[in-house]
Amino acid sequence: METGDRPQCSDECREALRRLGALLDGELGEVTQAKLEHHLADCEPCTERRDFEEGFRELVRRGCTDEAPPDLRARILSQLDEIVTG
Amino acid sequence: MSEMPNTSAAGADPEAAAASPVRRELGDAERRARFEAEVLPHLDRLYSAALRYTHDATDAEDLVQESVAKAYRSFHQYREGTNLKAWLYRVLHTTYISMYRKAQRRPQESLQDEIDDYSFYDEVSRVTGTSPEREVLDSFTADEVKEALAALPDTFRQAVYLADVEGFSYKEIAEIMDTPVGTVMSRLHRGRKSLQQALHTYASERGLLTGPREA
Repeated sequence: METGDRPQCSDECREALRRLGALLDGELGEVTQAKLEHHLADCEPCTERRDFEEGFRELVRRGCTDEAPPDLRARILSQLDEIVTG
Repeated sequence: MSEMPNTSAAGADPEAAAASPVRRELGDAERRARFEAEVLPHLDRLYSAALRYTHDATDAEDLVQESVAKAYRSFHQYREGTNLKAWLYRVLHTTYISMYRKAQRRPQESLQDEIDDYSFYDEVSRVTGTSPEREVLDSFTADEVKEALAALPDTFRQAVYLADVEGFSYKEIAEIMDTPVGTVMSRLHRGRKSLQQALHTYASERGLLTGPREA
């Protein structure tokens, strides 16, 4: 069973999909990024996919926000008092 | 006489002069004040990271406390103008390894090769017959995300956390984890896929992904 291949899926789409992770990570070179964004502007399925993967990263970020317990801060401050720095 | 050149080297980069390593000569009081002003605002983030590293609130507090103490002792090694946040995470990472190495009874875990072929998006499309809406992601709770992350092998979880939550670049993660950039990329790729797979399981269990299959 083939997944991910859409009827209109072109080589450009496959290339976009392959580089999507690096694009979202901001790790593509300027030229490659511009080329990919140009393709995304024209291709709705790839844009949907990009939005979804972007949503996944946001989901992880959202799920991992914790506040340090107040007494940890207090303990750290009093700990610093005891550390002699050289 | 000829005119002075328009661009003068002096003053072109005021940062360079300010960043000279004078930190060592700071008085105790000034060092303490700077440390509190620059490092303590990162406390919540460091604690959050420590929770993902240790899976336990008490251990996370111990890890943060030890890391901050270490950072304070070696604060003179941190060069102003460089990346303080990455430096702090490097301290946290190495502290975690030295504190918990003995406790790590499991050999370095890996992820199965099959994970490379997995895609939440494609899988949901296949099952429901339609592309998953972004809204499907809103249905996951923070606890589910944490649980799915916790199930990842250490190095994969750390890479995903550092990239997706803290927003570090591949290069910064490579420095924090002391590993080649290529390894970081592969851990990220596989770690994210494995995370998606775990969340997919939760969604299926909740009956969230049963859509019409008939065309």
